[in-house]
Amino acid sequence: MKQHTTRMTLTIDNKTVTADTGASILDVARQNGIDIPTLCWHEQLSPHGGCRMCIVEVEGLSHFPTACTTPAADGMIVRTHTAQIREMRAEILQLFLSEHTASCLVCDEQEECREYMSTVRKAGVTTGCRYCPKDGQCELQAVTESLGVRDIIYPIYYRGIPVETEDPFYDRDYNLCILCGRCVRMCQEVRLADVLAYKHRGRDAIIGPAFARTHLEAGCEFCGACVSVCPTGTLREKARAWEGAPDREEITTCTFCGVGCQVRLLVKEDRIIGSLPADDPTVNQGQLCVKGRFCNTELVNGHQRIRHPYRRENDIAWDVSWDAAFELIAEKLRSSAPERTGMLVSSNLTNEDLYVAQKFMRVVMKTHHIDSTARLFYGSGFSAYLTLMDRAVPLSAIRDASAVLMVGLDTRFSRSVVGVAIRTAMKRGIRMFTLHSREHTFSLNADVWLQPEVGEEYRYVEALVRLAAGEDVTDRSIPADMRVRLADVARALSESDSPVILVGAEFLQYDSSRAFLAAVAQLADHVGAGVLTLPAQNNLYGSLLSGSFPELLPGMRPTADAARLQKLESLWGTSLTGLTDAWNADHLLRDDCAMQFLYAVGALPPVHRGAAKFTVFQNMYPPEPYCSADLVLPTAAATETDGSFLNGERRVQRVRRAVAPPGIALPDWDILCRLARHMGAEGFAFTRPEEIREEMAQVIPGFGEAEIDARGILPLAFDAVMHVSGNGTAQRPPDSDHPFILHSSVVEHTHRGFPLAAWVEGSRILFPEGVLDISAEDARALGLRDGDSVHVSGASFEEIYPVRIVRQQPRGALHASILESALTHPNPQPVSVRKADV
Amino acid sequence: MFSEEELKQVEELKSHYPTNLSAVMGVLHMYQDKYGHISDEGITYVANLLEVPEENVLGVVTFYEMYHQHKTGKYKLQVCTNVSCMLRGSDMVLQTIKDKIGIGIGEMTDDGLFSVHEAECLGSCGTAPMMSVNKDYHENLTPETINELIDALKAKG
Ligand code: SF4
Ligand code: SF4
Ligand code: SF4
Ligand code: FES
Ligand code: FES
Repeated sequence: MKQHTTRMTLTIDNKTVTADTGASILDVARQNGIDIPTLCWHEQLSPHGGCRMCIVEVEGLSHFPTACTTPAADGMIVRTHTAQIREMRAEILQLFLSEHTASCLVCDEQEECREYMSTVRKAGVTTGCRYCPKDGQCELQAVTESLGVRDIIYPIYYRGIPVETEDPFYDRDYNLCILCGRCVRMCQEVRLADVLAYKHRGRDAIIGPAFARTHLEAGCEFCGACVSVCPTGTLREKARAWEGAPDREEITTCTFCGVGCQVRLLVKEDRIIGSLPADDPTVNQGQLCVKGRFCNTELVNGHQRIRHPYRRENDIAWDVSWDAAFELIAEKLRSSAPERTGMLVSSNLTNEDLYVAQKFMRVVMKTHHIDSTARLFYGSGFSAYLTLMDRAVPLSAIRDASAVLMVGLDTRFSRSVVGVAIRTAMKRGIRMFTLHSREHTFSLNADVWLQPEVGEEYRYVEALVRLAAGEDVTDRSIPADMRVRLADVARALSESDSPVILVGAEFLQYDSSRAFLAAVAQLADHVGAGVLTLPAQNNLYGSLLSGSFPELLPGMRPTADAARLQKLESLWGTSLTGLTDAWNADHLLRDDCAMQFLYAVGALPPVHRGAAKFTVFQNMYPPEPYCSADLVLPTAAATETDGSFLNGERRVQRVRRAVAPPGIALPDWDILCRLARHMGAEGFAFTRPEEIREEMAQVIPGFGEAEIDARGILPLAFDAVMHVSGNGTAQRPPDSDHPFILHSSVVEHTHRGFPLAAWVEGSRILFPEGVLDISAEDARALGLRDGDSVHVSGASFEEIYPVRIVRQQPRGALHASILESALTHPNPQPVSVRKADV
Repeated sequence: MFSEEELKQVEELKSHYPTNLSAVMGVLHMYQDKYGHISDEGITYVANLLEVPEENVLGVVTFYEMYHQHKTGKYKLQVCTNVSCMLRGSDMVLQTIKDKIGIGIGEMTDDGLFSVHEAECLGSCGTAPMMSVNKDYHENLTPETINELIDALKAKG
């Protein structure tokens, strides 16, 4: 047999070891259980050789090379812990410590401090004078301990740099920075975001963005990847500082968008203290966006979480027991006609919650009146979106693509893991195009930026379709330079073997969305592109699959499918003939909506008082003031229940309970099952989500435990027709009375109907809801400053918004991020603006 | 900011390297030769020209002593203060300059003729102490030769 030539043999600390060629001395040592101290090295990053902690002795070399950057070689004789090396390491470490202000590291009282902390004495003694929020988790601390350094012979140099706290989610105290450069490499090599660099040198050296920019101004995505790799307390998560080490971790699926990243929840004393990316090769590749990384902890820990069911009447609220709540609902339901009963669910719920919810409505209430609030998000483009979504290719298609077209997608704060995948592919040399009316993350580094006027996006896609079909585009309303760019993009897409089109949520609420989505589908057909829709709702697919729409039965079959109905009848042991399906969520916003009973599992849009006689509101947080809920039920967050989600690729992934819900809150499926049992219904004896899944598997092929563990892509096809509303009113050009054009997008950063900005402090800065973006020029002309209130009036509405001056906003155009319910048509529409009187 | 001619030079520079990042220093030199110093706008301009992050260009500018971020005099007195020169009298050189024209490191004379800068080793240790005036080296400095040099430059104007 041929000798394996890629192995080498060397000696480390008198031990003979073998390794693959290409490995560094450090790699080989660690593979063989020999520990060499390191500070600047990190497994996700390229070796740097900056901290010199890992110096070793190599026989035959006159200097001491760093183990992390020196390739091991056949026959090498390495010594890692000689007295001389240990002394040199201690010396270098002292140099670090002389510029590091955490005196705890070398404090004489170190041991006693910990031991006597619990005695009742002065604060500094009982709590320990801890200067660093990373205490107990700091790598510098660990190395100091392991090298036994207890004294610093050098004078202490305190740099006195003010702590930077102005950015959301994490603070920076560069007095603690050891310039290991992990954050810089993370941002530049892995995230490819280029926000951080080294500035100045010697004792003035500091990390940060160019000039005096804040991270927000420098284009930071707040992915927190730099914070995760910082070995010291320099970069610290605001919400997690001082929390200490977690007791345990739990891997689950992020609930904030259809990408479905795998998240590692950090748990301490039955409380979530943080969330970090899981090491996942399939979906997020060890990355997260700002929502998965930072928003989770605050959202689930809010002290205003509902803990107890309560009844509301005439502005008075009082707690009730679960039994009393169930009895009240049962009584109201008994007196409600099926055609005037409805349930609204959020597409953020688990598959199991959604399945039980629709079964409850169909079996107990004898109606198909269950609908997802997602319908309101997508408006008139709903059906077109679902059809497009059905063509979804796996996320890995981006990795294999030869050209990518992004339409209406800005990956800065949402789906930024997809942004990282695209930038990685671009490094490989693929062509990248973006179609967006505003400046965004990719507008400058894409090969071509197609920049239509607001509301004209669909015409650009239609032009691409014609060009791809070999026709000319003579549309004079598209500027000549853009026509050249369009031709370039169409050619590149046609010539590419495996193009991918990524659809963002940006233009989905425009009146042109139906035309836009149809054109995207046509374009994909013409150029043979895969499509990735990346829905804003993490479990939009799951809500289709579980049948939580009046048009759909479990397994994504149309309600009219006789065979499926029959199967369900025998499975559920009940008749499903003659059930009403005339109602959906759109009706709630109509004046003639007069339900007797409305059950909202998740959000409830502002509806007129008469829209429902009795309303149950089941959620994590109390209802908005406008919401006329009569009974409020506390529900478990996604971190407090077991279940599964189906992401935008149709990949089924597990949701795991990491902590207990607050108070006596219960998971949604459990509440509904208990209610059904209270009402004497059969078929709701589920006590665990597995049992629900067992039943689901009988109508949904591939929905077994094994498939969920394998995180497989479910073989599903969507062929139902969904009812859409929306008037599609044509857009009018601005006139002298209405000189501005206002376009509204529904904020996609929501959870169970609440904008994250309502419960997560940092999101108020990154993605506020209900603010009006205006260009600096327009603001100046109107005499407006950031945060001023303005009166906006158009043909169909009048509204007061606070303004936000945004550099990227084109002149003459205004942009509002609003909740579904605040959406008015036409969209975009011409409006006038004036400063509101104070 | 760069002329057609200069832009061609930039292209030429770029062609020497596998990545544009490597051309940053050369282009910064061109910029500084033209404008005397590299302002924030200059950093942005060079970054955009080479399609590299501003962060990296700023990092280079602030790292090397030879790039100046503030306005400099017509004659840049760049005094080496590294080990050899320090041992052989760079303090004397700085003091002599200060006595003669009244300015120290980081300062510029009111007439804009001189500015004084600290330089890292300029590779002329054998003839320490030394300084470079713009691109010319002046070596084995003594108080006398420094005074003569400054007088000569003043006379030239
Ligand atoms: S949060 Fe992310 S984008 Fe921002 S500086 Fe850190 S690594 Fe870079
Ligand atoms: S901020 Fe942290 S990761 Fe970055 S260089 Fe300093 S110590 Fe290293
Ligand atoms: S990209 Fe989506 S799934 Fe991933 S962390 Fe962000 S919100 Fe969560
Ligand atoms: S770990 Fe090797 S030099 Fe820092
Ligand atoms: S130390 Fe001054 S030239 Fe080298």
